Amino acid sequence: MKNKLIKNLNQLLLAIGIIILSLLVGAIIISFSGNSPLEAYSTMFNGAFGSKQRFMEVLVRMIPLVIMALGTSVAFKAKLWNIGGDGQFIVGSILAVSVSLYSGLPPVIGVPLSIIAAMIGGALWSGLAGLLRVKFNAPEVITTLMLNYIAVYLLSFLVYGPMMDPLGSKMPQTANISTAYRLPLFESGNRLHMGIFIALFIVVIMVFFWKTTVGYKIDLLGQGEKVTTYSGVSVKKMIVFTMAISGLLAGIAGWTEVFGVQYRLLEGITSGYGSIAVVIALMGGLNPIGILISGFFFSALLVGGSTMQRMTEIPYSIVEIVQGLIIIFIIARTAINFKEIKNRITRRLSNVK
Amino acid sequence: MLGELKNKHNAVEMHNIVKEFYDVRANDDVDFFVKNGSIHGLLGENGAGKTTLMNILFGIYHPEEGEIFINGEKQDISSPTKAISLGIGMVHQHFMLARPFSIVENVMLGRKSRKGILLDTKETAADLVALAEKYKMKIDPYAKVWQLSVGEQQRVEILTALYQGAEVLILDEPTAVLTPQEVEGLFETLREMKNDGKAIILITHKLEEILSIVDEVTVLRDGSMIGHVEVNENTTKSELTKMMVGRDVLFNFNKACIKTGKEKLVIKDLKVLNDKNFLALDGFSLDIHSGEILGLAGVDGNGQKELCEAITGIRPIEAGEVKLDTINIENKPPIVAINKGISHIPEDRHITGLALGWSLKKNLILKTFKDNTKFGLVDEKKIEKRWKSAQVDYDIKANSGEDSAKDLSGGNQQKVILARELGSHPVILIANQPTRGLDIGATEYVRQKIIDAKGDGAGVLLVSADLEEILQLSDRIAVIYDGKIMGILPCGSNVKNIGELMMGKKLEVEENEK
Ligand SMILES: Nc1ncnc2c1ncn2[C@@H]1O[C@H](COP(=O)(O)OP(=O)(O)O)[C@@H](O)[C@H]1O
Ligand SMILES: [Mg+2]
Repeated sequence: MKNKLIKNLNQLLLAIGIIILSLLVGAIIISFSGNSPLEAYSTMFNGAFGSKQRFMEVLVRMIPLVIMALGTSVAFKAKLWNIGGDGQFIVGSILAVSVSLYSGLPPVIGVPLSIIAAMIGGALWSGLAGLLRVKFNAPEVITTLMLNYIAVYLLSFLVYGPMMDPLGSKMPQTANISTAYRLPLFESGNRLHMGIFIALFIVVIMVFFWKTTVGYKIDLLGQGEKVTTYSGVSVKKMIVFTMAISGLLAGIAGWTEVFGVQYRLLEGITSGYGSIAVVIALMGGLNPIGILISGFFFSALLVGGSTMQRMTEIPYSIVEIVQGLIIIFIIARTAINFKEIKNRITRRLSNVK
Repeated sequence: MLGELKNKHNAVEMHNIVKEFYDVRANDDVDFFVKNGSIHGLLGENGAGKTTLMNILFGIYHPEEGEIFINGEKQDISSPTKAISLGIGMVHQHFMLARPFSIVENVMLGRKSRKGILLDTKETAADLVALAEKYKMKIDPYAKVWQLSVGEQQRVEILTALYQGAEVLILDEPTAVLTPQEVEGLFETLREMKNDGKAIILITHKLEEILSIVDEVTVLRDGSMIGHVEVNENTTKSELTKMMVGRDVLFNFNKACIKTGKEKLVIKDLKVLNDKNFLALDGFSLDIHSGEILGLAGVDGNGQKELCEAITGIRPIEAGEVKLDTINIENKPPIVAINKGISHIPEDRHITGLALGWSLKKNLILKTFKDNTKFGLVDEKKIEKRWKSAQVDYDIKANSGEDSAKDLSGGNQQKVILARELGSHPVILIANQPTRGLDIGATEYVRQKIIDAKGDGAGVLLVSADLEEILQLSDRIAVIYDGKIMGILPCGSNVKNIGELMMGKKLEVEENEK
């Protein structure tokens, strides 16, 4: 118990260390670009936390990101590199919107049905990658990425074609879903919606999920296929299942975004959430609470960054640079064996004595 | 001239050798002297630093401290090439031959031809045959390496070293892969070389070998030189063991050849493919009774691993039957064997037997998540309790159940596997090389636990390439060769007969099973 606490604390300190390091290196780059790092970061901070309005905007952004990162973490735990969150998000959204626009069902049935549709859409899209891996040994890194493209083009096709708003102004988007289907807002004039509770609820569920036998089996798969088979767990079934659960969550993320913020399908609806979700998941140590925290941080970075871009001369790419640095540090962290370095240093020191 | 010089000096003198790998002191101030015209044993448990010391002598590693003298002259052995030029040869634990080539081609690799740019294959082949004959080895210089048995490959390695002019020959655990007959042949060769004035260094952790062929022995423990003993009639196993392990060890198991219980697991005409899609088992039949240890002897790679995997459902079966009592379990998923009480200690504990990144606690319930839940969630308290009792029952040395499996020593890792596989009170235990790579203490422990499992009524299939282990533990001994059973012998059978079967020879007079 105590051990675990220390481990989690270590993880947290490490994450904070990585963020600070990234911001520092980012600061150097900003000053090279002729801007003031202090100004950049303070407007960024202000942009995220300067008012209730902005803070709520951070939470709005956090909802799909955290849910999607949780989905990513499921696959990553099993060492399945599902980087197709965007595609799963899109396909889930398409199915969910179709239900709400075309089924004509009353919201009592239609809303739950649309969530289920979103889950199915996401799970199908990632499960397909799992199936390709199992049947043809096709690496999921590649197939999930390719399925992203297919989903993006499918979405374009639909919003320019069959699903385009018949009454609209020929914009690449569908009609709005009816008000009864939408996730309620906290207060008018603000975009924060009840989806935040869904996100938190899923975080809690995931905390418990990892303690179920299914969670254990997914974790076991990440320890290696041989030991998994040896333990009496079918590797093939588990790969498809894990991928499906991973995509299912991305589908739910899509649902919250469509039914809480956009109210319709449109091109570019994911805004590249998938890749950010990967970073959030890794930074959160694939742990649900960790993901919640790192998801909050990244949302603040994104919202703060876009405010900064509006209010100063400093380009938004700073945000991307900081993000990139964080990724590099996370990779370095896994690639470098700190224990070994520590041992070497202590040995050198004791030799000198 | 050279002879005189050689007699005056030790062939090899290594003084105060220190070698470190990060946080491990593999050699800690080791002195090691070898006389010309002698066979010198280098004895120590796994990880004692034997290979490291010899790799230093052969120029593969450079020591942090220490000096080396060859025939009285101080040398800086910077590379294997340098070592070879000084007349040092080494046969590694893992052979380093180029498999598609013939023996003579392998020997010629890395050497200048006598005929300039033309290859001197014929001459070299003739030289090799002569050299082999001189040292009582039999070879066909034109045979391709991949066609050779492990024993033959070893002969090629030795010949290569001799051909390069080795006066000091290092053999790193050469007998680990040989049948008893092949060991005898090898020793014949070594004696011949010794009579020729060469110095031979024999790395081993087997005491019988030390006593039967070695003139002097140096013992290493935990990287340090523990002692140096001249071997004669008065040298005892227990004295050497004590030096090697640091305490007394009893290798006496109370084994009566138990009259076996009823047939429990029946294997009939099994055909199973290996990873390269060749038949690893080809018409393999065997039955295992409750309350017996059936030892399966055989040289590694004759289908043992495939057999264990086929029984436990890990590997598909092409043809044949596996029956537990009267129920067919062939080609059923692994969970079926697990639920029916077939436990499995796999050959490869790192990749198969343990989830290395997991805590010890979780490794204990690897196969039984379901039985350790409360309200659908894995019950931490219950697991902690299990861990506590397993740690005591199986004497696992670890700080806590939260430690990662990868942080334990091999012996303790194996104990975790034992705790899991035996804790479920299996009806059948498949133990594949259960003591390979373990130190003496852990080996002793694992063997006792296997005997306890038998006492508990389990039918045990003990697969081991270590013939001594088989002889010590088994109630019946089956010998596997090339995917088939060559014969089944009763407890207390003659080693020579087992050895013959291990090489695929039929026995002339069948020793009948009672
Ligand atoms: N290349 C290496 N890198 C790191 N550690 C090593 C290396 N080679 C050996 N060791 C360590 O040094 C110790 C002695 O190993 P070794 O000489 O192989 O022992 P032995 O041959 O007696 O079994 C062991 O603890 C082993 O893990
Ligand atoms: Mg060794």
